[in-house]
Amino acid sequence: MAGQTDMKLIKDGVRLDGRKADELREVKIVAGVLDNANGSCYLEWGNNKVYAGVFGPMECHPRHKQKADRAIVQARYTMAPFSVNDRKRPGYDRRSSEISYIVSQAFEKVVMVEEFPKASIRVDMQVVEAHAGTRCAALTAASVALADAGIPMRDMIPSCAAGKVNDVVVLDLNKEEDNYGQADLPLAIIPSTGEIVLLQLDGHLTPDEFEQALDLATSGCMDLYKKMRLALENRYGGSA
Amino acid sequence: MGKESSDKSDSVSSRKLVLPGDLLETKSKPGRGIFRRDGKVHASVLGYSSDQSGYMNVNAITGGYTPKVGDKIVAICVETGPSVWRMDIGAAFNSTLHHSESGWKVPFGDTARFLTIGDAIWAEVFMVDAAGSHQISLKKDDCRKLYSGTIVKIGPTNVPRVIGKQGSMITAIREKTQTRILIGQNGHIWIDGKGKDIATAQKAIEMIDNEANSKGLTKKIEKLLEK
Amino acid sequence: MSNDSVSNLMRGHMESLAKEGKRADGRGINEFRKVTIETGMLNTAEGSAMVHLGNTKVLCGIKMLIGTPYGDSPGSGTMMTSTELAPLADQSFDPGPPREQSIELSRVVDRGIRESRMIDFEGLCIEHGEKVWTVFIDLHILDNGGNLFDCCTLAAAAALSNTKIPNVQHGVADKDVDLPIACWPISCTFGKLGDSIILDPTSDEEEVMSARFTVAHDENGNLRAAQKGMNGAFTDAEIREAVKTARTSDKVLREALKGIQG
Repeated sequence: MAGQTDMKLIKDGVRLDGRKADELREVKIVAGVLDNANGSCYLEWGNNKVYAGVFGPMECHPRHKQKADRAIVQARYTMAPFSVNDRKRPGYDRRSSEISYIVSQAFEKVVMVEEFPKASIRVDMQVVEAHAGTRCAALTAASVALADAGIPMRDMIPSCAAGKVNDVVVLDLNKEEDNYGQADLPLAIIPSTGEIVLLQLDGHLTPDEFEQALDLATSGCMDLYKKMRLALENRYGGSA
Repeated sequence: MGKESSDKSDSVSSRKLVLPGDLLETKSKPGRGIFRRDGKVHASVLGYSSDQSGYMNVNAITGGYTPKVGDKIVAICVETGPSVWRMDIGAAFNSTLHHSESGWKVPFGDTARFLTIGDAIWAEVFMVDAAGSHQISLKKDDCRKLYSGTIVKIGPTNVPRVIGKQGSMITAIREKTQTRILIGQNGHIWIDGKGKDIATAQKAIEMIDNEANSKGLTKKIEKLLEK
Repeated sequence: MSNDSVSNLMRGHMESLAKEGKRADGRGINEFRKVTIETGMLNTAEGSAMVHLGNTKVLCGIKMLIGTPYGDSPGSGTMMTSTELAPLADQSFDPGPPREQSIELSRVVDRGIRESRMIDFEGLCIEHGEKVWTVFIDLHILDNGGNLFDCCTLAAAAALSNTKIPNVQHGVADKDVDLPIACWPISCTFGKLGDSIILDPTSDEEEVMSARFTVAHDENGNLRAAQKGMNGAFTDAEIREAVKTARTSDKVLREALKGIQG
């Protein structure tokens, strides 16, 4: 977030990439793309490209992380070295660690972990190309992968961000908007109840702008949710 | 072979694809694959809803094996202990075969002589406790160690499809390939016969596993078996 | 489904099939699985390719950055290969520091490219002794259906084939040019199953085979790299036969590679 900038990111309601303030980038979701993983998903969001794969429920490793009365969700978010223009060193860093943790927390709310004591559900998200909003893309892909794996859940979790550029609240920031904009608010919700399971904010928003951004991100999530359903219906043939 | 008829004889109209969280309009009692919230019934897994015999179920299309008492399964030994064997049955956790449920007289510490790592058996799930651990037994019905043939692993949710309506699919595969086949409810399937015939039967079974949801599958299998 | 435990029955069945020249999936013992290659799909990489070999899926991205040359070769570019066994590719791929398996894989793929002089390193010199291009070959395993060696080598070759040196972005020249490639090594990996030698093992076959042998040839039929792995042994005759077989069997991979070079 650069805060104040002279860069014109939105002019007369049209953003640099031609979108209006409340428009999502193009999203393509395919369920069941990997053979080994119990469930998987490939997701393209603008130029973001993410793979998600799920294994489990299975025996929890390491043993000491096991919980006697429920399963744990072990989510892991990684960015490939070639996913960003400035090659990223392979390996785990603090940002990946944080995202992995908050994603695990989000899923522990919806996955019916009580059904599998002492087990672990492993969720792996690999970002192979990044253009802002990767944590939202990864979380969304992982939700589809969990459903694809037949893991019992109370709902899927769509995730989308809103932000602010040139004092205008907009939906789904792209890379330039993320770099030069004034605020970034990733959100993830449970569609059937409206509950929020992930919310972060970077930058500066007035109370009014915050309400606007929350509304916008929520509607973005609901749009995304429709696409997630469609991906699974396409994979499994819709109504029998 | 009493368990060999598929309950996928649901009328097609009662099968609807549902996703986790979907609200299910029903007056029936809640069954499998569902959860309750505010007095209403919701699907918990990706599957087909089935409102039958007074129960609202969602039959999962994907997912691992959940052991149920009475299930016949094919199990593979992954570890030997002094008085038990640890067995892979394709569930979240490995199962236990206790020496007292093996039907053999096993001296303490001598388990590997009877069943060693990699050996396979046709067994029955005889105990599942509240914490989710389970045990299997070799003492029931025709349970036994398997000495020849091979094992194919498929998704347990596709086992009914491999069996077919009133066992029609599996009978066709057996007859056309002249093989002996035991279908474990856990998706582990034992096939025995001549090498080439086993390969054909395996191919048919794997095709069903990969294309369970597509139309025209039965015809494709018929064609494969004719070759 | 999980390949955790492979029964002894499966081993016996595969060995007897192999004696008759056949495999569990219907292939002959010297046949590759179906291969598909797609290139250029990543915007953030200088070159990229996705290879499917049977169920095995590997994504390769090439990044080129300016670096300093090695002391003993001041006019040559450098390269580095890394492989990531992504946890979503296999239940047994735990996250964490690279295991021996991953390191062996990286190094064999790296040697196949480096020692075969596939990349014309002299063509990557920017300022003699000061600035050269470093080619980063990053292989991301997305699905382990067996034979990561051949799939990775092919993915690396395909990605390098559509790599453009980012001169413009780094202010080195006013035009991006193709990465200079001198030859095309293609690898063939064999497994020893009982007394039979099989080409392009699946992950089930890898669980039961006793030894592994990888050999890479260039387009002129000359050997460029070889590696024997696992703790079993091959006879002298088996190795010679495998090398001979590789020279004809690799045609299908070579043609797939040619197909995307356009």
